[in-house]
Amino acid sequence: MSAKRSSINRPPTPDVDRDRENQEPTLQEIINIKMIESGEKERLKELLRERLIECGWRDEMKSLCRKKGRNNVTVDDLVHVITPKGRASVPDPVKAELLQRIRSFLASTAT
Amino acid sequence: MMSRNSMYTNPKPCKHLADYKLRHGLSGYNLLQEQIRTTPSGKSSVKNHQTEIPRCCFCNGYQKRLYLCLICSSISCSSHTLLHSQCENGHDIAVDIERSELYCVLCCDQVYDPDFDKIVMLKHLMDLPRSGNGVDVSAGRRSSKRRRLCSALELDLKKTKQLVSMRDLRAKSCYPLGLRGLNNLGSTCFMNSVLQALLHAPPFRNYFLTGQRNHEVCRKRSSDRLCLLCDIYVFFSAVFSGDRTPYSPAQLLYSWWQHSANLASYEQQDAHEFFISVLDGIHENGVKARNTGECHCVAHRVFSGQLRSDVTCMSCGYTSTTYDPFMDISLNLDTGNCPSTDLANKSLKPSDNTYVSTLLGCLDLFTKPEKLGSDQKFFCENCQERQDSVKQMSIKRLPLVLCLHIKRFEHFPVRRMSRKIDRYMQFPFCLDMNPYLSSSVVRNRFGNRMFAFEGDELDTSTEFEIFAVVTHSGTLDSGHYVTYLHLKDQWYKCDDAWITAVEEEVVRASQCYMLFYAQKMLYYKANEDLVCQPVSPRADPFLPIAGCC
Repeated sequence: MSAKRSSINRPPTPDVDRDRENQEPTLQEIINIKMIESGEKERLKELLRERLIECGWRDEMKSLCRKKGRNNVTVDDLVHVITPKGRASVPDPVKAELLQRIRSFLASTAT
Repeated sequence: MMSRNSMYTNPKPCKHLADYKLRHGLSGYNLLQEQIRTTPSGKSSVKNHQTEIPRCCFCNGYQKRLYLCLICSSISCSSHTLLHSQCENGHDIAVDIERSELYCVLCCDQVYDPDFDKIVMLKHLMDLPRSGNGVDVSAGRRSSKRRRLCSALELDLKKTKQLVSMRDLRAKSCYPLGLRGLNNLGSTCFMNSVLQALLHAPPFRNYFLTGQRNHEVCRKRSSDRLCLLCDIYVFFSAVFSGDRTPYSPAQLLYSWWQHSANLASYEQQDAHEFFISVLDGIHENGVKARNTGECHCVAHRVFSGQLRSDVTCMSCGYTSTTYDPFMDISLNLDTGNCPSTDLANKSLKPSDNTYVSTLLGCLDLFTKPEKLGSDQKFFCENCQERQDSVKQMSIKRLPLVLCLHIKRFEHFPVRRMSRKIDRYMQFPFCLDMNPYLSSSVVRNRFGNRMFAFEGDELDTSTEFEIFAVVTHSGTLDSGHYVTYLHLKDQWYKCDDAWITAVEEEVVRASQCYMLFYAQKMLYYKANEDLVCQPVSPRADPFLPIAGCC
């Protein structure tokens, strides 16, 4: 029966910002780290790039960007406007293929 | 060795970049150089610690675009770059980690500095396998380029006085010189259509009309043998004589049959095949090819250019580059269809039927990187084994006259059948070939770079004007060729013996098969030479001029 006794002199509450690093990394972060370490992330990025070019997604985004004109446009503007459209228009087969690759990667590195 | 591409004027640096350069010069770039890694596909990224994920120093995020400060190397995400610049005075210039591109925090925009690009590319070159890396380091091309320019001017400057003196009194003075119908000698519209285009290719025309081809002393003719060049000379003289009655190019046809015996028949032939074989005939009959590379026969001087083919190993990035001459470029029609066969071919466009093929689309397709099939694995010198690879075509050197051939006849050797593709293709009257040049294409492989490391081939202009369109109507077996000529701002339809003036729209709506473009300066000069009086405003634009005086 070793119930912890609450100490009177409690240590100061840790600063939330600084302590973020000490918190447990989320599952997403763990997967991300594993993928980067093994080089899989880079490979997946290349694959995604290839697929998005093949299916015309990149050309479509290019023409959307061009519509904004050449003057008084910054990269940040474009990224802001294009990102939601881009995400929404990724074809389902491409998403499916990448998810499948991630799944097999996870299965192969499961410990 | 590495020269600037004079066609691209570098954008003026923003005030912040200029300040940074003044204070720090190239030191920041040089320090960064060590950390740049380039993938075989050409993408350059900044990678300092291979295993650590770069994270924003403010929010620890890693999913947005990340920027590395050039002064203190701290990393911020796109939301916090401004914060960093506020915390540290003067830390305004950063590098996009993933793309190795400069970013100005205060302008919130990408900025360009050729010095930076040079450093990125240098690192890339240093990292690449030693032998051959797709970069043209030859400075020796300059001399041949100058020679080409001179010969172009030669063909052109031989004065127009000789042209004028050939005018016959019978000439209908309201129409340009050299407009004359050609009789069909039995399914010879394929020949007539190409001849009409050749008649008006500026440097080609000038060569034959200004007596550079000395007909009298032709050795072959004096010994009563056939000479294709002489026959072409006679043909030109006849067409430009001012006589407007339709001409029968029988001698030329016979001459050509002798040269291309396999095509000698009364059957319909392919106009493009005829074009190639005529040029070939001119080449063989003309100046004997010197062993030092370039041929100086009129066919080559006018029509030949050079293509560059790059095959890149997808494993290590080693690129093998070859150069091949061309007399014309055959283009596949761009259909807007995604080539990916594994996926369910989901097109982003609602219905493929609305996609219009364009010439620029075809040229884009021609210069697009193409993944070679697994049965065509390229033997990589660096990896010493067969690897998957990517091939990309581009134009190293443009000709004076560019002939673009649209592949409309599809042959299926296995099924032993052929068919014609009737798909409409839109084409421009003014064409800028700059995006398809090797310098542009190769530059685009490495992200947004201002700095070109290709040899300068841009002393010649890249702007072209259309002067002839050969169109085909009908099926593969029974079809008809018609040529549209663009002379002095007026379009003329040349349908064998019948020539009529037509409106621009008719030409735009036609089904083009071969497009002839001349370098802009040559085209405009040639049009000045066609002396003729303006058409009277009440003249019927559709008045046929064949067979009437």
